[in-house]
Amino acid sequence: MEITGEFAIPAPRERVWEALNDPEVLRQCIPGCESIEREADNVFNAAMRAKIGPVKARFTSVVTLTNLDPPNGYTIVGEGKGGPAGFGKGSADVTLEPQGDETTLRYRAELQVGGKLAQIGSRLVAGAARKIADDFFGKFQEVVGGETPPSA
Amino acid sequence: MADTGIGAAVRRTEDLRFLTGKGRYTDDINRPGQLYAYILRSSVPHATIRSIDTAAAVAAPGVVAVYTGADMAGAGVNGLPCGWQVHSKDGEPMKEPAHPPLAVGKVRHVGDPVAVVIAESYAQAREAADAIALDLEELPAVADTRAASASGAPQLFDEVPGNLCYDWEIGDKAVNDAAFAKAAHVAKLDLVNNRLVPNAMEPRCYIGDYDPTRGEYTLYTSTQNPHVIRLLMGAFVLGIPENKLRVVGPDVGGGFGSKIYHYAEEAIVTWSAGQLGRAVKWTAERSESFMSDAHGRDHVTHVELALDADGVFLAMRVSTLANMGAYLSTFAPCVPTYLYATLLAGCYRTPTVYCNVKAVFTNTVPVDAYRGAGRPEATYLIERIVDVAADETGIDPAELRRRNFIPKDAFPYQTPVALVYDIGDYDQTLDAALAAIDYQGFEARRAEAAKRGRYRGIGISTYIEACGIAPSNVVGSLGARAGLYEAAQVRVHPTGSVSVYTGSHSHGQGHETTFAQLVSDTFGIPFESVEIVHGDTDKVLFGMGTYGSRSLAVGGTAIVKAMNKVIEKARKAAAHILEASEADVEFADGQFRVKGTDRAMSFGEVALAAYVPHKYPLDELEPGLDETAFYDPKNFTFPAGCHVAEVEIDPDTGVVTLVNFAAADDVGRVINPMIVEGQVHGGVAQGVGQALLESCVYDAQGQLVTGSYMDYCMPRADNLPPVSVSTHVTLCPHNDLGVKGCGEVGAIGSPPAVMNAVVDALSALGVKHVEMPATPQRVWQAIRDAKGAAAA
Amino acid sequence: MSVRVTMTLNGKEVSAEVEDRTLLVSMLREKLGMTGTHVGCDTSQCGACVVHVDGRSVKSCTVLAAQCDGASVTTIEGLAKGNTLHPMQEAFRDNHGLQCGFCTPGMVMSALDLVARNPDPSEHEIREWLEGNLCRCTGYHNIVKSIKAGAQAMRGGK
Repeated sequence: MEITGEFAIPAPRERVWEALNDPEVLRQCIPGCESIEREADNVFNAAMRAKIGPVKARFTSVVTLTNLDPPNGYTIVGEGKGGPAGFGKGSADVTLEPQGDETTLRYRAELQVGGKLAQIGSRLVAGAARKIADDFFGKFQEVVGGETPPSA
Repeated sequence: MADTGIGAAVRRTEDLRFLTGKGRYTDDINRPGQLYAYILRSSVPHATIRSIDTAAAVAAPGVVAVYTGADMAGAGVNGLPCGWQVHSKDGEPMKEPAHPPLAVGKVRHVGDPVAVVIAESYAQAREAADAIALDLEELPAVADTRAASASGAPQLFDEVPGNLCYDWEIGDKAVNDAAFAKAAHVAKLDLVNNRLVPNAMEPRCYIGDYDPTRGEYTLYTSTQNPHVIRLLMGAFVLGIPENKLRVVGPDVGGGFGSKIYHYAEEAIVTWSAGQLGRAVKWTAERSESFMSDAHGRDHVTHVELALDADGVFLAMRVSTLANMGAYLSTFAPCVPTYLYATLLAGCYRTPTVYCNVKAVFTNTVPVDAYRGAGRPEATYLIERIVDVAADETGIDPAELRRRNFIPKDAFPYQTPVALVYDIGDYDQTLDAALAAIDYQGFEARRAEAAKRGRYRGIGISTYIEACGIAPSNVVGSLGARAGLYEAAQVRVHPTGSVSVYTGSHSHGQGHETTFAQLVSDTFGIPFESVEIVHGDTDKVLFGMGTYGSRSLAVGGTAIVKAMNKVIEKARKAAAHILEASEADVEFADGQFRVKGTDRAMSFGEVALAAYVPHKYPLDELEPGLDETAFYDPKNFTFPAGCHVAEVEIDPDTGVVTLVNFAAADDVGRVINPMIVEGQVHGGVAQGVGQALLESCVYDAQGQLVTGSYMDYCMPRADNLPPVSVSTHVTLCPHNDLGVKGCGEVGAIGSPPAVMNAVVDALSALGVKHVEMPATPQRVWQAIRDAKGAAAA
Repeated sequence: MSVRVTMTLNGKEVSAEVEDRTLLVSMLREKLGMTGTHVGCDTSQCGACVVHVDGRSVKSCTVLAAQCDGASVTTIEGLAKGNTLHPMQEAFRDNHGLQCGFCTPGMVMSALDLVARNPDPSEHEIREWLEGNLCRCTGYHNIVKSIKAGAQAMRGGK
C-alpha cells in the first residue's frame, strides 16, 4: 500500500535536512522509539514498540538512507522484525522544498507487512501506518520548528 | 423396530457425551510425561533458508529438543506422500516435488513449518521459538492462480518449469469442436471458484507417544481416517511397520475434508516422541489452522456451452486453472480432474464435453478436497453457464434445465465424461424445490420487493454428484494409489448384543446412531444392544475412513455384508438346533423360524448357542458369531437434486440477504431423516458461505491476509434463513441399502443457486455475472458499473 | 508469577495454583480437567469456550483465571443433574442441534444466558444473539430450533 503526506515545517531547508539525518531527532520523533544508533554513515539500528490492532510487539529495525540528495531529500528504507508478530518493511521518498523561511516536506511511502501482522492485522495496517507517519512528521515539525534546539 | 429402525429419526447416541462436556477430542487427552510442541513457521511466502540457529532456543527454560528439517531428513524421515498420480495429456506423470515435514532448503508459503520446539510446557516451547535465528533470503513469490502460470512467474521448484504440475484433459476435442461448429448459440463465461478455508471448529491436534519397551508408537489424531494415516505415515514417512504403530482418532470436531490428509505435524510429533521417549502434543492455534490446514477450491475457469435453436445443449468446453498450493497435499491432484471434470455433464444430455485442466503450484497453503471437492466447482460452472444461456436465449431457466435433463427412463446413462449414472429422477426434485419455494409466485414477490426499493432475484441449481467413493479398480486406473473399499466387523456377543467395528470414522455425522439403526433393524435386536466402534487401528480391522459421502454407501454396505454372513452362519446353527433343513429356516424380526411352524429361536438364543456350543453343528461350523467383510463398491453413487435460492439486494449498500432457500435432494434411501436433514443444512450453510461470505485472500506479495475470524467471514446464524429440506428417493441399484450419500449435496447444490439468484436480481440492470463471494462491496460495484454503463 | 485462584465451579469449591497470565479456559481444561469447554480460535470469535461467570456468559479465552478468584463458574459439565439432562441440553438432542459437538458446549451456555435475559426469544433474536458463536456443521437451523424449544421447556411449556 502507498501513503503520502505533506507538512509545512517552520524552519529553513538546510536545518530540516540536518534534522532528518540526526539520530536523536529521529529518536524523538519515531513513535514508540526506544533507541536508535548509527551503525554506518547512513545505516541506523532502531528499536520501537508498535501496536497494530491486536498485534503488539517490539520491533528491531534497520533503517537505511539512500538516494541522498542534500538538501533536497532522500529515501528512507526500513525493515522491522517483530518476532512472532511478523514483520513490516517499507520505504519513503522524502522531498524538501523551500517556501521562504519555511520548508515543505512531502513523503510518499510504500509499506508491506508479513506474518501475524498481515494475517490478523492487515485490515488495520494502512490506518496504523498513516497514524505512525503523521505522528512522526507532526512531532518532527514540532521538534525542528520549535524553540528547543533538537540535540539539547 | 419402527421407532429405532431404518427410516426413524432416532436421537443420536453420541449427543449424550457431547452435550454434557464428556466428548473426548484429541486435545482433551493428555499422556503421562507429555511434552508440548510449537512449530516455527515461515512468515514469508518464498525464501531460501540460509541458516537456522537453534542454540539459544535449545538453551531456553523447559526446552527438551529443537528439530529442523535437516535433523529429520538426516534421521531418514521422508517427505509427505501424495496419494494420487495424475498424468498429463502427453502421457507424462504429474510433477511431484518433495514435501518434507519441516522445510529443507527453501520455504514456499507463509506457514511452511521450519522447526519444532519441544518443551515441558506449550508456553515455554512457544517462547523459545522466538529465540531461533532464522536467516532467510527472500525470493519473489506468486500466490495468484493466473499469475503462477504466466511466463516469467517466480518458480517454486527448479524441477517444475512454469509451476505446471500437470496439463490434463478429458473428452474428444475434435468431436467437441465439431459440435460447437453447428451451434445456433454459444454462451460463454469466465469465472473464479474462490479459495476457501475449511475451518472445522476443532483445530487439528496430534499426540505422538512411544513405548520403548515394546518399540510401539501411538498417534492420537483428529483425523477422518486413522488407517489411512497409519499407512501413509508409517509406510512412507517414518518407516514404522503397521504392527508397531497404532493410530487413534477419538471424537473429531468436524473435518469437511481437511482432516483426511496426512499432515506434517502428525509425523513430527510421532517421530519426536520416538526420539525423546516421551509423548509430544501439538494443538493448532486457529491462526495456524488458517495457514496450515489444506484449503479448498481455487479454480479459474472459462466455459462455453453450445445450444441448438431449440435450446438443446450440443456441447460444452471448459478450460480450468487449478491452484495446488505450494506442495501436493494427499489427494490434491484428483480434485480438479477426476472429481471435477467427470461431473461436467451435470444432469444433462450434453453429448460432448471437453475439459482441459492445468494445475499450478503457488506460494500458498496446499489445496485439497473440501466438502464436495471438485463437484461444487463443476456444478457451479455448469449451473452458471446454463443460466447465462437461459438469459441469452430467453428461455426460462427451469424450462431450459428440464428440456436438457437426462430422462428418468434413460438410466443407466453413459456420460461423455467417463461416468455411468446409475439412476435418477431430476424432474422430481426440480418440481419439488420449485413448489417448496413457490416459483410461480416469484414475480409478485419481486414486484413487492421493488416497491420497497429492493432487487429480488431467484436462482435455480440442479446438481448431480458422484460419491460413495469409490470402485478401487476404477480409481486405480485413474491414478489412485489406494483402494477405496471399506471394512467392517460384526461381533455378536454371547447374549446377543453386538459390537460393530467400522472403518468409517464419524467426525460429526452420527455413525454411532445411523449404523446402530441399521444393525438393530437387520438383526431385530434393541437399538441399545448395538455398539458402534470406530477410530482406533488397534480395534478396527481396517478402514479407509469418512469422506466423499461414502460412510453409509460403502461403510454401511460393508456392515450389511458382514451382517449377512452372521445371519447365514446363524441360520445354519439354528437349522441344526431346530432340526430343520437350512433352506426351511427364515430370518425375520429377530427370529429364526422354521417356515410354516411356530418353531423358532431368537437372534440372542442362536448367539448363545454359538458361544456355548453344546448343541451345535461343530462338525460343520466353528463356534462363535463374529464376521468381517470388505466391500468394494461397484460404481459411484449419484445423489442429485435441486436447490433454489431467493435473495434481496439493497442497492444502496450492496448487501445481499438470502431470504428463502429450498433444497430437494435425492440421496437414496434415508436411514435417519433427522441426520440427513442436518447434513443438508450444514452443507447449504457452507455453500452459502462460499457464495456470499467466504474467501481466502493472499496479497500481491503472497501474505495471507484472511488469517483469522476477523477477516475470514464465516457464516453466522444471522446470515442464514431457515432452510426448507425435502428428500425424494430413487434407490441406488448397486448397493444393498439403496443409499447414495448426503454429506456433500448441500455444499454442491447451493452456491450456484445463490449466485444465480444474485445475478437474476441484478439482471434488469444488465449485470451478467458476479464473482463469489458476492460481498456488499462487489455487488455495490456491479450495480454502480451497470448503471454507469447504462448511462453512458 | 503464580497466583492461587479459588472459585466455585459447578457448585463445588475448587482451587488451583496458576501463572498470573493463565486464561480461565486454560485453568479449566489443564488444571481442573474440565475439558468440556473447548478452544476453537485465538481471537475470541468462535464462542466454543463460553462458560458462565456469576451467571453471565463469558468467553473463557478472554478472561484471566485470576479475575475469577471468588467467582461462581458454571461449565457445560455443571448443567445435567445426574443422568437427567438440563432442558436446554435435552432440546439440543431432540432437535439435532449438534453434529460434531465441538461448538456445542459454548452454544448451550450461550443459549442459557440468552434465555435468562429473554425467556421467550424469537427466531430473529436467537440468530442475532448467536453472532459470537460459530458452528461449521449444522448451518444453525437446528441450533435455533433447539434454543426455541429449550426456552419453551424452561418456561414450563411443552
